[in-house]
Amino acid sequence: MAETFIRTEGLCFSYKDDEGRPILHNINIDIKRGEFLCILGRNGSGKSTFAKLLNMILTPDAGKIYVDGVDITDPGLTEEQIMEVRRKVGMVFQNPDNQLVATIVEEDVAFGPENMGVPSDEIRERVDRALETVGMTEYARHSPSRLSGGQKQRIAIAGILAMMPECIIFDESTAMLDPHGRHEVMETIDRLNEMRSLTVIAITHNMDEAILADRIAVMDGGRIVMDGSPAEIFSREEELTAMGLGVPQAAMLANRLRRAGMDLPEGLLDERSAADAIASAINARKRQGT
Amino acid sequence: MSKLELENVSFVYGKGTPFEKAAVKNVSVSFDEQATIGVIGHTGSGKSTLVQMLNGLYKPTSGRVLFNGKDINENKKDLRSLRFKVGLVFQYPEYQLFEETVEKDVGYGPKNMGLPAEEIAARVRRAVEFTGLDLSVLQKSPFELSGGQKRRVAIAGVLAMEPEVLILDEPAAGLDPAGRETILGEIENWRRANGATVIVVSHSMEEIANHCDRILVLNKGELYKYGTPKEIFGESERLSEFGLEAPQVTRLCNLLREKGIALPRDIYTVDDAFGAIEAAFKGVGADA
Amino acid sequence: MLKDITLGQYFPGDSVFHRADPRAKIILGIVFIVAVFLADSPLSYAFLLLSTVLMIAVSRIPFKTVLRSMRALIFIIIFTSVINIFWTRGEHLIFEWKFIHIYREGLTFAAYMVIRITCLLCGTGVMLSYTTSPIALTDGLEQLLSPLKKIKLPVHEFSMMMTIALRFIPTLIEETDKIMSAQRSRGADLSSGGLIRRAKALIPVLIPLFVSAFRRADDLAVAMECRCYHGGEGRTRMNKLHFGLADLALTLAFAAFTAGIVLLNKVPLNVFN
Repeated sequence: MAETFIRTEGLCFSYKDDEGRPILHNINIDIKRGEFLCILGRNGSGKSTFAKLLNMILTPDAGKIYVDGVDITDPGLTEEQIMEVRRKVGMVFQNPDNQLVATIVEEDVAFGPENMGVPSDEIRERVDRALETVGMTEYARHSPSRLSGGQKQRIAIAGILAMMPECIIFDESTAMLDPHGRHEVMETIDRLNEMRSLTVIAITHNMDEAILADRIAVMDGGRIVMDGSPAEIFSREEELTAMGLGVPQAAMLANRLRRAGMDLPEGLLDERSAADAIASAINARKRQGT
Repeated sequence: MSKLELENVSFVYGKGTPFEKAAVKNVSVSFDEQATIGVIGHTGSGKSTLVQMLNGLYKPTSGRVLFNGKDINENKKDLRSLRFKVGLVFQYPEYQLFEETVEKDVGYGPKNMGLPAEEIAARVRRAVEFTGLDLSVLQKSPFELSGGQKRRVAIAGVLAMEPEVLILDEPAAGLDPAGRETILGEIENWRRANGATVIVVSHSMEEIANHCDRILVLNKGELYKYGTPKEIFGESERLSEFGLEAPQVTRLCNLLREKGIALPRDIYTVDDAFGAIEAAFKGVGADA
Repeated sequence: MLKDITLGQYFPGDSVFHRADPRAKIILGIVFIVAVFLADSPLSYAFLLLSTVLMIAVSRIPFKTVLRSMRALIFIIIFTSVINIFWTRGEHLIFEWKFIHIYREGLTFAAYMVIRITCLLCGTGVMLSYTTSPIALTDGLEQLLSPLKKIKLPVHEFSMMMTIALRFIPTLIEETDKIMSAQRSRGADLSSGGLIRRAKALIPVLIPLFVSAFRRADDLAVAMECRCYHGGEGRTRMNKLHFGLADLALTLAFAAFTAGIVLLNKVPLNVFN
């Protein structure tokens, strides 16, 4: 069992200017080091607020958050400790245009390490490596304004990687991208999680992204209402639909065929595994028949 | 003659500069009336340019855009009134809200049309109701609404002009699955009630497949095909050549056919797929 | 189309100008401007023109590009020439018709003025905008002004603001374009009527633009904080600025150029005789 990297205990939060309506109720979750966790929920379910708490952008009303053993809700945290938490837990946001600072790609990637006071030579190395990891080396001297949305998000990821994080939170980072850009970014996220054993927390309402995760936590009305593997979560189609979420078409079809009497295993989430299972079910019946 | 037609339309950006780029190349199509038409294509295929030519925001470099048989760019003065008949909702339209109240913002278009106050008020109400918002929002500031509500107000702002053709560029972008379905359903209801034509640009093949009667496919500025979902998705291999993915069920059925299971080629909804696969499954039993 | 405007005219390359330290270029840019105003004889003007052409050639920026950037200022150039031609009184009258008198001195002054403005724009353009990326420029400026930090002037903050402004100008231009199209689609008439009517018609464009700018600012502030930004203190830079061979070469070239102008001013060559 891998060690816990992030742990929340009884986390509650409400926006002050609202009518005191809580945004988050009593969130208790353990996120393991190297895990790929997806937080799934519809708009307004509290999932983005949760992310902002983990990164100290917001402060909870009650409850504790531990990042790598440090209680980040402790008001006595020093400036250095806060910086260290932000280094460990990087965040990639939704709008690709609103998170790039510099007018040249590599200067932007260098922004984080520069703020951390990393020596110049080492920044250079980190920037080159980060750009290579996201496959954007050839754009190092370009202006971000001429890049596609997917490319901009990859630059934003490189900017976080250059800070040598241990966890990256993706706060709906693919929501504004076209399918091609979304694919680019998802592929990068998946690779980072596998290659670098980086802890990944992806916040989304997109089912096709959620199936890539090791584990899905579904949020609704400020609570975590389901927590399990993608196969477990997507077998509960009706509950998801009732929450305004959906399931991938392949899972939807498999669930319907199963109800109609076809012998299909659980956890058919993509077209390939579903097609394999359906074909073998039909062929099995053929063999029985003949 | 169709209400809205494109006749050999081309559009070139930055003509005569080093950045010259042909965005739309010689497209001719006559749009079906009282239908929902999906426009699909890879990013950079010219979709946005094409729809902006339909209401005269862009003037074709060559070719004609015909509305009721008349070239819309013939007389520049008529363009403003054309835009009331061919309404265009941009991507993320909530970013164009500006008035103090929802009522005034939705009424901006009708006011520009020079309609009397009572007529404006009636249209605003109708439009807001079509988008599923409660009439109590009318006196609120659009800036204090939630993201999904803002989107609805912005769409209502164009619906209130009661256009004959309504064009929407990614109306559901960034919304969650239920939000997407609701907005698309509301647009569909509005179309039926008004006998209008809806043209919708989308990246989601699943949604295009579920909601559209006709599909226009653009590839690098050229018209690949204008046809029914069955015709378009029946050749899903061609789509993937253009970097477009057919709906997941279509791809799933293609895989099943490769495995030797006899299924029709033109399946594009979960319902169709379910029916066909169940028939194939039961059919095996029946043969035996 | 607003979109067609290109801002930040940095032209990547590897000339001596590109390699030079932005601080050196800022200082030499000032030297160049002073030298341009020192020019005072036909020979020094000719030398100035020649040097500017040489600068452009060395920087390997296409002449066409440099000249194109002059287009915006063509009106000023024509205006000052016309004033000089018609209003300068001298000794050598060469044209007279009713109240119009044109003197040879006027023509000469006009020619000088055109050369001066052209060289000023092309020269500083080559030094500071075509061969220096905006970020290098703000970095250079920050470092040159860093002594002012001692008297508590927010030099770092100022340069950060410049960088962010440069970064967001293209984004906001695109956004303006989009909002204008969107409002036009709702019947906004942005291009007819008198001044007041036009100003009023801009409200539906300006309000969304400001709302969007604030939203972006908010997002950016959060993103910067998440990337450990905490002001200029303790910050390091990836690209350290240092004075190198290119700077030495440029400095010498500019010293020679200034000396040339001053010396040529003294060479007697009277074109009026």
